[in-house]
Amino acid sequence: MSRKRRDILLNPLFNNNPIAFQVLGICSALAVTTKMETALVMAVALTVVLSLSNLVVSLLRHYVPTNVRIIFQLAVIASLVIITDQVLKAYLYAISKQLTVFVGLIITNCIVMGRAEAFAMQNGPADSLLDGIGNALGYDAVLLATAFFRELLGSGTLFGVPLLTKVTDGGWYYPNGLMVLSPGAFFFIGLLIWALRTWKPEQVEEE
Amino acid sequence: MLRKLLDSQKEYFEPDGPLHRFHPLYEATDTLLYSTPTVTEHPSHVRDALDLKRMMSIVVFALLPCVLMAMYNTGLQANQAIAAGLEPAGWRASAVTAMGLGFLPGSILSCFVHGATYFLPVFVVTFAAGGTCEVVFAIVRKHEVNEGFFVTGFLFPLILPPTIPLWQVAVGIIFGVVIGKEIFGGTGMNILNPALLARAFLFFAYPAQISGDAVWVAVDGFSGPTLLARAMVDGSQGLLAADMSWWDAFLGFIPGSMGETSTLLCLLGAVILIVTRVGSWRTMAGVAIGSLAVSLLLNAFSGHVKNSYFDVPFYWHFVLGGWAFGTVFMATDPVSSAQTEQGKWIYGLLIGVLAIGIRVTNPAYPEGMMLAILFMNVFAPLIDYGFIQANIKRRAARNVATA
Amino acid sequence: MSQQRNTTLYTIGFTAAVCVVCSLIVSTTAVSLKPRQASNALLDRQKNIIQVAGLIEPGTDPDREAIQHLFDQYMDPVVIELATGTEVDIDALTFDQTEAARDPARSRDAPPNPAGVKRVPIHGIVYRVVKDGTIDKLILPIEGKGLWSTLYGFIALDGDARTIRGITFYQHGETPGLGGEVDNPGWKARWKARKAFDERGNVTIEVLKKEAGPPEDDPYHVDGLSGATITSRGVSALVRFWLGDNGYKPYIERYNASRSQ
Repeated sequence: MSRKRRDILLNPLFNNNPIAFQVLGICSALAVTTKMETALVMAVALTVVLSLSNLVVSLLRHYVPTNVRIIFQLAVIASLVIITDQVLKAYLYAISKQLTVFVGLIITNCIVMGRAEAFAMQNGPADSLLDGIGNALGYDAVLLATAFFRELLGSGTLFGVPLLTKVTDGGWYYPNGLMVLSPGAFFFIGLLIWALRTWKPEQVEEE
Repeated sequence: MLRKLLDSQKEYFEPDGPLHRFHPLYEATDTLLYSTPTVTEHPSHVRDALDLKRMMSIVVFALLPCVLMAMYNTGLQANQAIAAGLEPAGWRASAVTAMGLGFLPGSILSCFVHGATYFLPVFVVTFAAGGTCEVVFAIVRKHEVNEGFFVTGFLFPLILPPTIPLWQVAVGIIFGVVIGKEIFGGTGMNILNPALLARAFLFFAYPAQISGDAVWVAVDGFSGPTLLARAMVDGSQGLLAADMSWWDAFLGFIPGSMGETSTLLCLLGAVILIVTRVGSWRTMAGVAIGSLAVSLLLNAFSGHVKNSYFDVPFYWHFVLGGWAFGTVFMATDPVSSAQTEQGKWIYGLLIGVLAIGIRVTNPAYPEGMMLAILFMNVFAPLIDYGFIQANIKRRAARNVATA
Repeated sequence: MSQQRNTTLYTIGFTAAVCVVCSLIVSTTAVSLKPRQASNALLDRQKNIIQVAGLIEPGTDPDREAIQHLFDQYMDPVVIELATGTEVDIDALTFDQTEAARDPARSRDAPPNPAGVKRVPIHGIVYRVVKDGTIDKLILPIEGKGLWSTLYGFIALDGDARTIRGITFYQHGETPGLGGEVDNPGWKARWKARKAFDERGNVTIEVLKKEAGPPEDDPYHVDGLSGATITSRGVSALVRFWLGDNGYKPYIERYNASRSQ
């Protein structure tokens, strides 16, 4: 893999993370991260949608009339999201029930539209696919990290498996109720951004 | 001799000494024990030139009556519960017994010592955990440990229930110091009051240990609603039916957060803060007027709503929960409150309005002071901005007129 | 190319083509997955019901066959008319009581009540658990306001329609650690063996503010949740509402009458 391609794939992980640096897609990051299970399914769903939408948009980029390009991107993304949602309902019913509207709301996730418009419309299909996967992985990484701490601290479990025995079950762990509430995700993502910018000071905005 | 010891160690902490990274620790020890060789020259607060250390000492001095009352009343409430038939247990009870003191509610010494066994551990843990955070940040950021934490460390134990688990005290104050202060750049830069933020964190993270009926009196197995909880459920009927009078609440002989119960001692603190001009009388008056107005308004509607909390008169609101303590010591925090003189009025009024509004109309929280102050902390810069802009405009207009 | 693709005709053609292709793909997926989704939804309801009936442990995940097997073997749900208590011919498996309560055509205004119930459905569901040919349990849905949220749950009565076998809430948003303790297995166990009705059939069960005695001596009272006065009160009110005249009492009276014959 050429250096350029590797950068396309890996840059969104830490250097240009869609959540931690661009602060996009926060809404779903707050909503689905109380449990690892829902976060993982959401992460997979977004990865599928984002990489395929980038691929399709890039393949057709020379044929799209410029004045309807946003509508075209929306149509592609919406179709992919609906298909993903339908597949989840058919094969992962219990989890899709917990994710409620949030799979459907991938349509409005700024990351997906943003990558289609900013990258896929200007680059070849292979690069666009990599860019889609890369950005999705950046989103996934933050989502899973947030869910890991929220579920562990908030419920004492991971993927539903009890790790820290709760006091109410005769153990020692007092679950942290704040982690189950949405502000818990805000605090965690805030701390994550703080850590990331301490590690990579070039991400700090100029005042 | 101590001076000599400190001086002899000094070289290790000098910029080229082996331990220079830990200079803040040395410096803090030195200035805590002796007066500092360098005096604060620049204002630490953005827009306040009052010497930081002097101001902190006055606040702590004003808090001392509440601290003493915290120990006495915590013991008194516990001893009353024991006198009513509950068994004293745990190391605290053993300590009190070992000192030859009984658990008589009438004995001031017994109440004081018994209460101190609850208050002091919380106090020590607050300073140990919060102080460690301060020092770590001072070392990493290479600045000196300043006195900013001192007041926070006094305020925080006073707004906790006596039965709070000590590990929660530590977790709470660390959250308060790191998220409430250090993230924003340290003392003087914070938007929120760190002690209140720490309490809010515990309130949402571990509600069972900081609210409810079982946490306010420090005896195992005791469960009884606070006056606020009674007011929430049965309104002024509930308050009148309680075996505690308005005077008990005013003087502070009621269950509650350790240092918040006595309105009288908060008033005393208010006098000290106002006379020394450390705390703003405008903010305090604003809170009082706001609360008064809203409770009168709610009283007027009390016949038409099912919520019986509506009929609680203002003079009860003023002596219950953390109202007085919050008004005097929290709302007036010079860093997180509004800075402009007119801004303080608005800021205070809105705290008063919100505090009573949350108390009465929110179905779950019998107390609204903490949330009201934190909420207005966030808006304080906006209020100031409005007044400063208006002022600039007015001056510009005046200059044009004279020119 | 770039000249040509911005003509009006091309734009319309392209948009139409995209729309057709997208809608074809989406509708094909939706139609082909429909049967599987429907069977999932049914299975999910069945699983909830047998879970409430205590036929599977909460947290375990039995497969399709096991669920269907248990359901067919033990469950006999019926839909009844709440006001009269008579059984009606509505398929219990597709009947959604919460939805019915929202539908103005299938519900009525509830009289003012301390449980905070606004609408009562015309029809209600009763899950009868049958063991060895006799009715072992009656499971009734309950709901009502706590402190923050509406609590949704079930109460299980013994075959005698008087003794409580269990209570559970599957959805609520009460304060964790205080009102949220309605989930606590220890507290739920306190309901067992208490009596919902007195000898004359009046609803007498009540959640106290303090602790209640053992079921033998104090059959009509349940311990309150410590530090959660309003949630306890809400639970008390909602149980009494759904066991009362606006809830399942007419059905229970009919059931008792038919049993004593």
